[in-house]
Amino acid sequence: MAKSNTFRFSVITPERVVLECEATFVAFPAHDGEMGVLMNRAPLVCKLGIGGLRVESPQGDQTFFIDGGFAQVVENQLTVLTEQARPAAALDRGAAERAMVEARALRITDEKSAGARARALRRAQVQLRLTGATNR
Amino acid sequence: MANRRVLIKRRKAVRNIRKITRTMQLIATARFQAAFNRAVAARPYTERIAKLVSDLSGATGEVEHPLMRAREDVKRSALLVITSNRGLCGGYNANVLRTAVARLDESKAAGVETDVHMVGKKGINYFRFLRRPMAERITTIGDAPKFEQVEPIAAAMMDRFEGGQVGSVHVAYMRFISAGQQRPALIQLLPMVREVVKGGDGEPDAGAGEPATAYEFSPPPRELLDELLPATVRVRLFQCFVDAAVSEQIARMVAMKAATDAAGDMITSLTRRYNRARQTHITMELLDIVGGANAIA
Repeated sequence: MAKSNTFRFSVITPERVVLECEATFVAFPAHDGEMGVLMNRAPLVCKLGIGGLRVESPQGDQTFFIDGGFAQVVENQLTVLTEQARPAAALDRGAAERAMVEARALRITDEKSAGARARALRRAQVQLRLTGATNR
Repeated sequence: MANRRVLIKRRKAVRNIRKITRTMQLIATARFQAAFNRAVAARPYTERIAKLVSDLSGATGEVEHPLMRAREDVKRSALLVITSNRGLCGGYNANVLRTAVARLDESKAAGVETDVHMVGKKGINYFRFLRRPMAERITTIGDAPKFEQVEPIAAAMMDRFEGGQVGSVHVAYMRFISAGQQRPALIQLLPMVREVVKGGDGEPDAGAGEPATAYEFSPPPRELLDELLPATVRVRLFQCFVDAAVSEQIARMVAMKAATDAAGDMITSLTRRYNRARQTHITMELLDIVGGANAIA
């Protein structure tokens, strides 16, 4: 055990385990804002929102696009359960822009569609931001 | 004479069929491997979600949620039947459909109308043949089900259930138990059964006996459950689709293996018949010659 300031981190979707590694720091989009996790964090269960997930590990940093789900911290193990997790590098700027246009075109008729429109907008915004960040 | 040629032709035909079925068996084996790997890869999520639900329900005590409310007053239910898009897989579709039809008759006897949501061309054709109505036909899900394909189906089901249009949602599919065993199964998707919420999917070791960890919850456990229970429904449905895909490939593998073996047997018996016919012919010709020679001498 040399320098053990890492904790186990995994991203799991219904289809597969997307990522499993040792991380020094992870920032994930919680439902009410971004939240960062370092080693020895107290046990936590948290709902996730839409946003970018940043992983800092000895092997290098990675960014993912996350759409909802849950994060759980227990005994130096952070698990992110989400229905959609895509590496930021795999995002397509054109597709994100189209999604933005589509989201703007959504009509609001009731409370439900308003929520759907807001989520679609947010999704497109985050994707745009993430693709911008990787292109620079 | 003619008989022999016919035998040769038939043997050739059977040989060609055997080649095809053997290839199909190999393809099914490869597809099964892939489907099985997907099923295994899908397991961690299911387990974690189940664990999370049981942790949370431990923290909140009695769980109450619209998705768990039994609605006996609604005289309408939904049944999702998962069949395959392609045939040549033995009794796979027949078994699932038998379970589905039995369920339909049962609920009809109980005075409950059932909307059938049929997945897979084979099931659709069968129900069309029986002239049974279907509320929805889905053929877009192939042998590699994607979560984003299943999610809208689950969302629609939950909508209809919460809106009070249907009182329950069941799924008929082929459950994958092991590579050697698959069973047609009928599960209740909605309303959610308490056992599912409490201890995973009725599977053992759902963290029983472990001391509960004192979690920090954000938002409070009750609100988290509001999100988690729909997620559980979605992933359970997804699991059904993944299971069905694996079972389908196994069924096809077994059916094609049986067909290949049967073709082999047939070739053996055809060869034997051909050889006998040939020998009879030779003997007859010899007798002709010998008889002719004797007559001259």
